[in-house]
Amino acid sequence: MDTAIDIALKFAGITVAFVVVLLIVAYTVLAERRVLGFIQGRLGPNRVGYGGILQPFADLLKFILKEDIVPDKSTRFIYFLAPVVATMAALMTMIVYPFGPEIRIPFTNITIPLVITHFDVGLLYVLGITSIGVYGIMLAGWSSNNKYSLMGGLRSSAQMISYELALGLSLIGVILLAGTLDLAQIVEHQSGWYGLRWNILFNPLGFVVYMIAAIAETNRVPFDLPEAETELVAGFHTEYSAMKFALFFLAEYINMFTVSMLATTLFLGGWNVPFAEAIFGRGTFLFGLVSAIGFLAKVIFFLFIYIWLRGTLPRFRFDQLMDFGWKVLLPMALLSIFITATAMYVAAQYFGVLI
Amino acid sequence: MEPQLSWYLALSAILFTIGVTGVIIKRNIIAMFMCIELMLNAVNLTFVAFASFFQDVTGQLFVFIVMTVAAAEAAVGLGIIIAIFRNRETLDVDEASILKL
Amino acid sequence: MLALLFILFAGLGIGCALAVVAQRNPLYSAISLIGVFISLACLYVMLAAPFIAAVQVIVYAGAIMVLVVFVIMLLNVEQEERGRTRLKFLVPTAVALAAILIAEVAFVLVSVQEFRVTPTNAASDIGVTHSIGSQLFTRYLLPFEITSILLLMAIVGAMTLARRGGLLPANARVIPGAQQLALSPDDLTLVETNSTDEAARLLGVDHRDESA
Repeated sequence: MDTAIDIALKFAGITVAFVVVLLIVAYTVLAERRVLGFIQGRLGPNRVGYGGILQPFADLLKFILKEDIVPDKSTRFIYFLAPVVATMAALMTMIVYPFGPEIRIPFTNITIPLVITHFDVGLLYVLGITSIGVYGIMLAGWSSNNKYSLMGGLRSSAQMISYELALGLSLIGVILLAGTLDLAQIVEHQSGWYGLRWNILFNPLGFVVYMIAAIAETNRVPFDLPEAETELVAGFHTEYSAMKFALFFLAEYINMFTVSMLATTLFLGGWNVPFAEAIFGRGTFLFGLVSAIGFLAKVIFFLFIYIWLRGTLPRFRFDQLMDFGWKVLLPMALLSIFITATAMYVAAQYFGVLI
Repeated sequence: MEPQLSWYLALSAILFTIGVTGVIIKRNIIAMFMCIELMLNAVNLTFVAFASFFQDVTGQLFVFIVMTVAAAEAAVGLGIIIAIFRNRETLDVDEASILKL
Repeated sequence: MLALLFILFAGLGIGCALAVVAQRNPLYSAISLIGVFISLACLYVMLAAPFIAAVQVIVYAGAIMVLVVFVIMLLNVEQEERGRTRLKFLVPTAVALAAILIAEVAFVLVSVQEFRVTPTNAASDIGVTHSIGSQLFTRYLLPFEITSILLLMAIVGAMTLARRGGLLPANARVIPGAQQLALSPDDLTLVETNSTDEAARLLGVDHRDESA
């Protein structure tokens, strides 16, 4: 069992990660509005603070002070439970991602690992918590006692469980390459070739399948029919107002952040910055700092791609969406597993090269 | 004091008994199905407890197989429940107690 | 410390299981059942079975219960009404029999006290993915393959059962004078037609030319 200091350290890590995630997510909302404005030829919010920097706080104040409307005939317990489940499921995956290598606090001899906990089955844990996140949406759609919400909720959860399959299968290629389910080990595995031995070079098909499935999982454009404003009023969160709507909103953006972090960790090498190990050496403070900043830069790159897609693509119709998920993406994911396994076997047997 | 094997077996027995009581008492077909899943999980707990206390991984493999069978049973069972609902318009087992539609 | 965790998760599990049986609304039963599954997953982690715990959450709580909640929402299942059971003493009898079963199990557990097994450390290596995988694909390969065929059977079965009315074969005909069971008097409508073709058209059965 861990000592008290280890437990205190873990709590401190969780607090720091929580604050960092919330800040990044709040500024992602602002960034989305600015970047969408740039794509659409207009300025985003730029009045509150210099260039709109304080906009997230203004939004938070608005959400807190809004009137909380509860529909009369809704099932009260489930109505209050749904946003809680959605937010909890979005936040619980934070603890397995490695934000950086072991970092040494300057002027002392203490090294702290920049991952909150090591799970043997970290990747399966992430998949499990993603499956729990579907419940928030389903229960929200049902408990609002509103047929638009119900339709939106059922469509959204059908879409999410269909694309979860393709998501899980596309990750098997990475697991084959790394030989372990532990996310910290997978990142360590990608630190060869001066920090350039990323999994995307070995499994590009898996990466493409994963990105498409991840966009569908988080209900973003072009897969956001269940919550589009022009289609179903607002889908499953029609009847939610003020802070509960803020929780759903937050859960969606935290989900976006989570899948971006997973993509970075699994395919883009996690915290591996090219040539950083040669310049700084392992275990030093500067190496840890540069690696953590590199990780955040890659995650922000993925978030930018999400926002870019939102500004550019039209959305799928629901039957086109389901066809695409089952008839195109699932066979492609299986193909990626097949190709990866065959390539590894052939390389090991006939060329003596261990991938 | 560490949890003993008998504690886990007692918990599993209690869950199994609650499941059996549920199957007898409930009148809704879906609720009965959920109590059957509860019984399956109680048995899973027994398997995993024995696998852990005797350091043999066979118990956990059996749990894997049981979970797969439960998933298959859930899919087909819910299909049957939907078919029954379409024909009889009710999910009450007391109403559906004769073979004639 | 571990005993405290065990009591916490066991209490949660038993509480949610009692809620599954006691709730009248099937949606609340389903949510309580998800609570049981998650507390069991936590117990599996304590028993050095992290892979099985993760698979439990993914398969049971994340897939099977999603299916069950879908069905409850689609069929718009209502609450059970009180006190219309045909057997009046069902609930007390069931509770009494359950109490007898628990008493038997308690007797068995108490009387084998001298056989103590050393409890395992939760950090032991027994349930790691590698050990499960190596056994699953070598020694227990046959059950694995049979399970995959079982899943295929389940998929085909579910698809066949859920087809709506599409079970009419391609050469369905209207047979004059055939008898049909009506579920309720509202199902019967008297329609006068001039020929079998018109009746077939009204019923939506495709009329195929036999000579073509």
